[in-house]
Amino acid sequence: MPELARPRIVGFLCDFAVDASALTAPDGTMRDAPNVTLIKVPCSGFVRPAWLEFALRNGAQGAFVCGCPLGDCFNRLGNNLIGDRVTQLRRRFERQKIHPDRIAAIYFGLHDQEGFVGAVKAFSEHVAQLPGPVVPAPRAPGGGPARPAARPAGEAGAQPSAPEQPAPPADTQEGS
Amino acid sequence: MNDREARYSAGIMILALVSLAAVVAIAWGEVAGQRLVGGAAVGVILLSYSFILLFLRKGGFTGV
Amino acid sequence: MYSRALARLLDWTLRLDVAINRVYPEDFNPLYYTGGLANLFLTVLVLSGIFLFLYYIPSFNDAYISVQFITNTVPYGQIIRGIHRYAADGFMIAVLLHFFRNWFTDRFRFSRDEPWISGMMLLLFAGFLGVTGYVLVWDQRSQAIVAMTGHALGAVPWVGPWLETQWQGSAGISNLLLPRMLYLHVGPAVVLYILLWWHYVRIRHPKVWPPAVWTLFSLGLIFLLTGLVPAVSQPAARPETVPTTLAVDWLFLLPYVGLKVLSPLVLIALAVVITVYGLYIPYQLPETPAALGIRDSGIAQVIDANCTGCELCYFDCPYNAIVMTASPHPGVTKAAQARKLFAVVLESRCVECGICIGACPFEALELPRLLERDVQEKVVQACRS
Repeated sequence: MPELARPRIVGFLCDFAVDASALTAPDGTMRDAPNVTLIKVPCSGFVRPAWLEFALRNGAQGAFVCGCPLGDCFNRLGNNLIGDRVTQLRRRFERQKIHPDRIAAIYFGLHDQEGFVGAVKAFSEHVAQLPGPVVPAPRAPGGGPARPAARPAGEAGAQPSAPEQPAPPADTQEGS
Repeated sequence: MNDREARYSAGIMILALVSLAAVVAIAWGEVAGQRLVGGAAVGVILLSYSFILLFLRKGGFTGV
Repeated sequence: MYSRALARLLDWTLRLDVAINRVYPEDFNPLYYTGGLANLFLTVLVLSGIFLFLYYIPSFNDAYISVQFITNTVPYGQIIRGIHRYAADGFMIAVLLHFFRNWFTDRFRFSRDEPWISGMMLLLFAGFLGVTGYVLVWDQRSQAIVAMTGHALGAVPWVGPWLETQWQGSAGISNLLLPRMLYLHVGPAVVLYILLWWHYVRIRHPKVWPPAVWTLFSLGLIFLLTGLVPAVSQPAARPETVPTTLAVDWLFLLPYVGLKVLSPLVLIALAVVITVYGLYIPYQLPETPAALGIRDSGIAQVIDANCTGCELCYFDCPYNAIVMTASPHPGVTKAAQARKLFAVVLESRCVECGICIGACPFEALELPRLLERDVQEKVVQACRS
């Protein structure tokens, strides 16, 4: 069931990729797709994958990075690197039960406004019909991996008089 | 997209036949002592291969 | 005016890309691999050159005959000779495309000036190699080239006669000429590789080979041309007469065409001016990014407390601007306390692209004027609207 007809999308756009100055309103949203906000960065390789996840965990339904055409990164390697990182992040998302299609890396050159707008709209429509919450609900506190049972009495070195305390799952209490 | 695939497959077939003809030309060039013909034929083969690779990508058979 | 012209050239260059990308998939666009194409042709030149070197005799009487021997008698000699000649043209074309593309797309600014300077040196040496290569054949074209060059060099004030002697090996044309020419051909070829080392020093993963499609295409074109238009010598040189016509290879012998209309001194002055201007290109416009309207984020800074010495930034920096040193002291975070290595940013090489920030999993790098928290703020704002 589609969550929103107009999902909130955050896009990182590098300084040397498609020239979006004519496509963007002063507040950073795209004129053709007001649900998409563009953030300019010096190079697509500057984007930390953690920021894409941060966007998804702070209210966005989708996040993408747009760099120069593959092979023509102004800084030589940036678009290839962000492409690899996004691929890795998508695999990590699968393990975390976040839908990998919520993030994407796209590549458009200076004059390819049409292609860029088309790709962003397609991404937005695709994200709109992805099921479920963006990120899975956090587990209840203490509800981490199965707590180890009380230590068996016959364990070497166990003192029968030691208080039976389940090992506190301290690590799972930390933030995601 | 099947039409696109069909067109590029046809192109690849033609180029493969051209390469085959060029191989024959190399052999003939050696036998007849016209090594320049053989050299040009090597060029034809390499050019055909470069276009076969391009067609494979454009036809969607290989690629990213 | 210059910056507007440059902006327009950038525009046209990238529009050309749009046209090319309609035919070729993006990662096959040859203009993205001009350096690799040049290297491909250079490799072909060196390999074919070694072959030719095996048979060439640098002496007045035997040079022309040895070249004819290679062409007519040695098995495949004519093909190898043709490949050498057409790869030289291909090399020059690729180098010029590389030069113009990197110029028009601003890829020489600030810390990227060293590949540009070494590239200019490479261009000059490559041109010189082509000229001495044409002389080695010792046909009438070679004679004309030697005479015109010697005459032009001799016209330089003060050092003219000395330059002429260096060029010819002796005061007049003697038997020392061709060994000198061979030296001036093979020596610069070796220097090319030294210059290439310098050219790559500030570049990580230089793209030294083009994609397979273009490797095959270039090699195929060379072989095809060799077969269709074989490389042949002009009539043999005759020292008693000075030839008046010159069969021109426009890529290498353009200055000699210039000598027909310009006086030698003017031509040399023009060459010097063009060369100096070329070396000046990276420094021509005002140095500050602000003046150019480019973002100025500041040199990447390593956050000592967080760096774990994982080397990810080192491997990803496109300009080899990060080096790993032995950690001078442990960091603050748990992961950083155990580090053996520590990342250091070389300010002279950093172009402020921020790729290292994207690579670092430990938040141990920041661009001073585009902090991570600024980006996160923007994301939060974007999510709220």
